[in-house]
Amino acid sequence: MSLTEQSAPSVRDFMDDPIGFFGESLTQMHSIPRAELEALQRKAMSIRFQEHRDSIEMLRKLADRLGVTEVDEFNDVVPLFFSHTAFKSYPAALIDNKRFDLMTKWLDKLTSHDLSQFDAEGCNSIDEWIDRLDEHTPLEVITSSGTTGTLSILPKDKHGAREGMVLWKICLFQTFGTEPTPAQLNPAVEVIWPNYASGKLGHLRIANMLKGGFTGGDESRFHSLYSDAVDTDLMFLASKMRAAASRGELDRLVIDPALAARKDEFIAMQMRQPQELDAFFTEMSEKLRGKRIFMIGTYNLMYDVARAGLDRGIKDVFAKDSVILTGGGLKGFVLPDGYMDVIREFLGVDEIREGYGFSEQSAFHFACSEGRYHVQPWVIPFILDPETSEPLPRTGVRTGRAAVYDVLLKAHWGGVISGDEVTIDWDLQCPCGQTSVAFEHDIIRYSEKTGADDDRITCAATHEVHNEAVNFMKEFES
Amino acid sequence: MSGAFTVPLFLRGEVITDDLVSFGTRSGGSEFQAPDMSKYVERLPLANPMQMSDLYDVSFDEILDVLQAVGDALVFEKNTHMQEAYEAALLANPLPADMLKNSYQILQPLFARANVLEIADSQVGLAYLNGWVPQHLADGRELRVRAFGSRVLHIPAGNGGLVSAVTILRSVIARCDTIIKAPSNDPLTAVAIARTLADVAPDHPITKHLVVGYWKGGDLAVEEELYQPQHIEKIVAWGGLASVKHVTRYIQPGLELIALDPKRSATIIGAEAFADEATMRDVAGRAAVDIGVANQEGCANARVIYVMSGTDAAGVANANRLGEMIYEALVGLPEFISTAPLHPSRELYEHVDASRMADDWYRVIGGEDREGAIIVSQFDSPVDYSAMLSGRIANVVPVDSLDKVTAAVNAYTQTIGIYPESLKRQLRDQLPLFGAQRLTSLGYACSVAIAMPQDAIEPIRRMCKWIVEEECDPAVVMPLWRLGAVSAAHANE
Repeated sequence: MSLTEQSAPSVRDFMDDPIGFFGESLTQMHSIPRAELEALQRKAMSIRFQEHRDSIEMLRKLADRLGVTEVDEFNDVVPLFFSHTAFKSYPAALIDNKRFDLMTKWLDKLTSHDLSQFDAEGCNSIDEWIDRLDEHTPLEVITSSGTTGTLSILPKDKHGAREGMVLWKICLFQTFGTEPTPAQLNPAVEVIWPNYASGKLGHLRIANMLKGGFTGGDESRFHSLYSDAVDTDLMFLASKMRAAASRGELDRLVIDPALAARKDEFIAMQMRQPQELDAFFTEMSEKLRGKRIFMIGTYNLMYDVARAGLDRGIKDVFAKDSVILTGGGLKGFVLPDGYMDVIREFLGVDEIREGYGFSEQSAFHFACSEGRYHVQPWVIPFILDPETSEPLPRTGVRTGRAAVYDVLLKAHWGGVISGDEVTIDWDLQCPCGQTSVAFEHDIIRYSEKTGADDDRITCAATHEVHNEAVNFMKEFES
Repeated sequence: MSGAFTVPLFLRGEVITDDLVSFGTRSGGSEFQAPDMSKYVERLPLANPMQMSDLYDVSFDEILDVLQAVGDALVFEKNTHMQEAYEAALLANPLPADMLKNSYQILQPLFARANVLEIADSQVGLAYLNGWVPQHLADGRELRVRAFGSRVLHIPAGNGGLVSAVTILRSVIARCDTIIKAPSNDPLTAVAIARTLADVAPDHPITKHLVVGYWKGGDLAVEEELYQPQHIEKIVAWGGLASVKHVTRYIQPGLELIALDPKRSATIIGAEAFADEATMRDVAGRAAVDIGVANQEGCANARVIYVMSGTDAAGVANANRLGEMIYEALVGLPEFISTAPLHPSRELYEHVDASRMADDWYRVIGGEDREGAIIVSQFDSPVDYSAMLSGRIANVVPVDSLDKVTAAVNAYTQTIGIYPESLKRQLRDQLPLFGAQRLTSLGYACSVAIAMPQDAIEPIRRMCKWIVEEECDPAVVMPLWRLGAVSAAHANE
């Protein structure tokens, strides 16, 4: 049954439950005719904007200031896009002074959920605050690290996390062109997680979701590289160190006594890691050899694991139909030519999937057989002029700054501008058969593009001092 | 592909435009071309230090005459080299046209006889530059000290014409053999001054001891060959942390670094500013100048402005009011001082726009057209991105006490503009302990004189080699060989 045979498609279903709307089918998600999809997207965008305008104070203020009362055409929403800075606009001093009551007040203005009854009294660390939000509110916030001494805090919610996990299953285990089988809808594989076991960083939250979702409920089939969690307060310190170093103020950096008291714990954690790495490889090469697995990691992380495995004489480890997902750009790491071959040789799989996305969105966009990242139907992509943020025409081949409006996002505003340079061929019908708009494969961060080759001298200091400890912290992220 | 303009190699009077290769500039996609320095690097340094002796055949009076003539020839309207440099800077530099032109207008008075004399005498001492200065030491020896020039490499910053001119001026005063690595964002000014020098004083020793060229910072083929103690004795490095840090790899015994390294500046405004409306306007106008000059590209510009308004409701209201006045004055500055920046930082505006939304903590005045902005903190801390402030964006921070201010002063702090004078006198014995290097009247942060120390050092003195000649008469200064004999005599008694 195709969509057109159904009764008039409901916008509400499309925007609130795309999984049901598309019958849990990857094929249907990416077969909907372009014009039909865009009509749905426009209506959904318009409705979601009105809802969020009422429920998200920061959006309302921005819209009021710009005089925007409704968004009908795609480009109407562009002036309302947030950049990543919106999610770290709180003063870092609030965390230093443990004013989690005020942090809650700040967060309340960024989310559609009502936090006015939430009590942050007694929270002594970022992790404690987030844990309490997890416990008492619909939120499941994720953090990322900043370079200006603050962490981004994105008010994601539990509903979105559950939905995201199902979407991942659909996109990773189904094949475009064939309707899903029960085994594809409920895969049970070994999950290999070459990372810290948990944490509040965006990608570490995923671990929790995969633990039950991809293993058929058997958490013993979840295998993480390290057993520990990344500590958010330690990440905050790392970010502050970076900022302080760039200001020449490392000597003034005050480490929260509660965190400093845990120094030995962190050192012990560091000391455990070589043994855990060995144990991880033993487990993969002995217990998991030949099994069908799911594994996810950034390119550089995958490469490091593969290199370490090959150096130990381990290769062709897993079943050929295993599902491997990588992406996230190279994040400034330089990998040798043929790094994908190294990863493939170690894993012994036929195919490595690639995904593109940023944490403000509801889901990744997955690469097709042609290497293009097909945009999920509930996400409206934009190419903006990289400097002015004016939207470029939605015709022909356009290269510029990626921005999206994600109608599926309920807990926070779905219009965001990225730091990535992307290309879309708007008129392309991709030979892979999917009808959806797609980002071309080569994506680069603007920061990497401009920072790489520059010997301009001015006497105002903006360069950052690198710091051994912070480099170590940075390894945590990837 | 040929570039938009050519940066010749000025090699001791000779102008070389062969073996051109292309380089990118900072702004936009424009390129320029310059001789491939790896082909010329062996010819840059002096073949033999003895060749510096001709600089000592020149009297200081003659040096003053030459510099005065150079200054007179630098008048923009009649100097084609400078006009070319200006055209190149328009392409390579983020500063708008009027401001760049203004930075060339101030060169003639810089080289004027009286000005050079003041700099030379106050920053080194004419007697030391022109001969041996005698001194009688308590132990009886006759000491004579003279300041010799060194073989020096300059890596100047490229914000406007002044830095290149000051670089050459300082080197000539100290009778140095000078190699200048032109900055990519002002690639032609130093060459233009050098060519003007060659026009007014061809074959003069000063001309023969000047080299100006461009190579890309970090080009090992050039740097590893040139940055050696047998070729140069001192490197004067301005600029960004990365470039100064990069140079440190070449520092070794016999090769010294004089770092005019990255700095930031601060502003402190006392409670007296709020005495009445007229005073507030005056203070706001001064602060606006400190923010706006050359569009805040320099290290002396005001960025974070601490205001002793207090942080209670009335205090914050005062800070907001002052912020509005500063903004009004800022956007009203004449174009040769300040304009909306040509290349506002997108990343910075992303932060500013986020602060605008976080209105419990920050009030953002202006900035909607990226013309510059004032962010008034509504509590006693600067924005977390204060290190990024540029393009006429400043942060007004209300504080209750001076402790907050001293906490913000560190080894990277250069200038602090202060109002009123009484507060400056109160602070001048404390702020240097934290790292501040220059305390000046509010409104003068970017009015920099050359006849004074810079970055807490005296660059021209540092560029000199301080040589002593001693005369010890054994009848007056007890010689060691006799000291032995005296001890022995004592032992025999």
